[in-house]
Amino acid sequence: MKVLKYIFFIVISLSFAQHDDLFITPKNWPKPVYNFTNNALTKSKVELGRVLFYDPILSKDNTISCASCHSPFSAFTHIDHALSHGIHDSIGARNSPALINLAWQKTFMWDGAINNLDMQALAPITHKAEMANDIKSLVQKLNTIKLYKHLFKDAFGDSIATGEKTLKAISQFLLTLISSNAKYDRVMKKQEIFTSQEINGYRLFQKHCNTCHKEPLFTTNDFANNGLSIDTLLNDYGRFIITKNPSDSLKFKIPTLRNIEFTFPYMHDGRFKKLSQVMTHYTSQIQSSKTLASELKQKITLTSNEKVDIIAFLITLSDREFVFDKRFADPYIKYN
Amino acid sequence: MTNYKFIQIIKQLLGKKYLAAVVFLCLQCAVLNSQNKNEIKVVFQPFFGSYPLILDSTYVFENGQIEFSTLKFYISNLQFLKNEKIVFKESNSFHLFDASNIKSQNFTFTIPKGLLFTELNFNFGIDSLTNTSGAMGGDLDPTKGMYWTWQSGYVNFKIEGTSSLCNNKRKEFQFHLGGYQFPFSALQKISLDVESKNTLVIYVDVKKIMETFNLSSIDHIMSPSSEAVRLSYLISQCFSLK
Ligand code: HEC
Ligand code: HEC
Repeated sequence: MKVLKYIFFIVISLSFAQHDDLFITPKNWPKPVYNFTNNALTKSKVELGRVLFYDPILSKDNTISCASCHSPFSAFTHIDHALSHGIHDSIGARNSPALINLAWQKTFMWDGAINNLDMQALAPITHKAEMANDIKSLVQKLNTIKLYKHLFKDAFGDSIATGEKTLKAISQFLLTLISSNAKYDRVMKKQEIFTSQEINGYRLFQKHCNTCHKEPLFTTNDFANNGLSIDTLLNDYGRFIITKNPSDSLKFKIPTLRNIEFTFPYMHDGRFKKLSQVMTHYTSQIQSSKTLASELKQKITLTSNEKVDIIAFLITLSDREFVFDKRFADPYIKYN
Repeated sequence: MTNYKFIQIIKQLLGKKYLAAVVFLCLQCAVLNSQNKNEIKVVFQPFFGSYPLILDSTYVFENGQIEFSTLKFYISNLQFLKNEKIVFKESNSFHLFDASNIKSQNFTFTIPKGLLFTELNFNFGIDSLTNTSGAMGGDLDPTKGMYWTWQSGYVNFKIEGTSSLCNNKRKEFQFHLGGYQFPFSALQKISLDVESKNTLVIYVDVKKIMETFNLSSIDHIMSPSSEAVRLSYLISQCFSLK
């Protein structure tokens, strides 16, 4: 009988085991931060998450989906607006970030307000200016729709939606959004080579930018004040809003630079439309303040050619396969 | 070989006969176990002074009146102790008390028969590990309305209502207390001396709770702060054994 018990145990654990082809840590990357033991990826859960991500049912009046502000063709940012409506009531609007390699991210939002990817979706679902819904009504709505009964049954073995399952499924889809096949990656794997301009850009990048936008994820996951002047209309003090610690004033999440070609406008408030403006910022517009990052206290001097070289390097971070990946696209599933 | 195929093969190997045997064995274990167990009931009873608290009824308070529409809070990590040693600990111990739902006010524990205890310990609120561990179900499901949305974290304690003492136009008050991050960790430990009885009734004095607030100057707190931590401590002093 003991043997049987073990076999049962194996069967149970296997049926919850992760499908390895859904999530592959790229070679030489660090271990993901997300704890998969509480939410192992399965094909049907990822699929449910994808349907939810593209479904305007998430908003109260069925008009706005996650994809409205995070479109796949812009590496899941908001292309047509400089500013998406802000998540917070009290502070101004913010630019919607690209959704890339989220499994490696420790906190979410420009100020790190969200501590776990699972809880991220609650913010837009609940916010008045965004989806103006609440998770309880959303779950009630999902439980009346045939398609979702099927999808929840496939995914969780039970057709009844709950807050936990809904959030975990959305996380599952977001976790699969891995971008690791840019020219940069192929060069690192010695499958391609940089042009001489890109080589020079890479060298300058490593010298001036890499402490914060650290390879291979192009972020340290930390918060920093990169010298942007404060917008007195928005009065957004970033990380300080969460920690209320003055040493965090004006610090924002260091964003990844992967797919930066597609994710304009730039910075937390979308103030720059072009990478050339970003380069001008780092070389001649750094605003001094108490919390300014030490790396940026000394002026960065670059010739106009050197700036162009850095941009040429940044463009090697574009991953077209990621942007056009069919697995991430709108499933166009309709229900009635 | 894929997981799926493997499961199919094992399923065939097992067959139905074995399954029935295993189910039978499990049932037998359950019956045997229950004979050596004792059920302990812990009841949380909200009072306003000497009156049972009923939502939407009016009470006299200080120089005015008060009415409550919501009273919800988390109790977690329940432990029974004897001589300062833990003798029984509930696993996965999270309970949402909700004044609008009688069922949520009684928790039953099955402890070994004859087990004696002198102390009941529990947390008032949700610990920081749970706060950062992602989506959870049961009483921790975000549909329960006790999770902040714009900033991660559980609301440990929620009280809402109206009072003539409030200085806003609609005479409303709203306190959502919580927070897990240093230095605004609101979690409180409550320890009560008890006797080894089968039913323990814990009295929650909402009048005393309201006296810790000063409604005429502050009528709402909606995010983690040092004030939320201070109030959480004071509220934790309003639980007593009846
Ligand atoms: C109205 C536009 C809008 C909608 C709809 C929206 N988002 Fe966002 N999203 C934003 C903005 C703006 C931010 C950044 C907010 C901030 O930092 O305060 C953001 C941030 C995020 C982040 C954090 C990324 C990071 O790097 O920190 C994730 C993940 C995310 N959204 C996923 C979703 C999901 C899932 C949905 C659907 C449930 C959704 N969003 C719906 C605008 C939107
Ligand atoms: C001290 C850390 C630090 C250094 C050094 C640094 N950055 Fe940044 N970078 C940041 C932070 C923080 C932000 C986000 C700031 C905000 O939005 O408020 C950012 C934003 C950006 C953005 C916009 C990204 C987006 O998605 O909106 C680009 C592009 C960028 N940096 C490029 C560079 C380049 C090129 C260099 C080197 C010349 C560099 N950074 C050096 C911290 C740094």
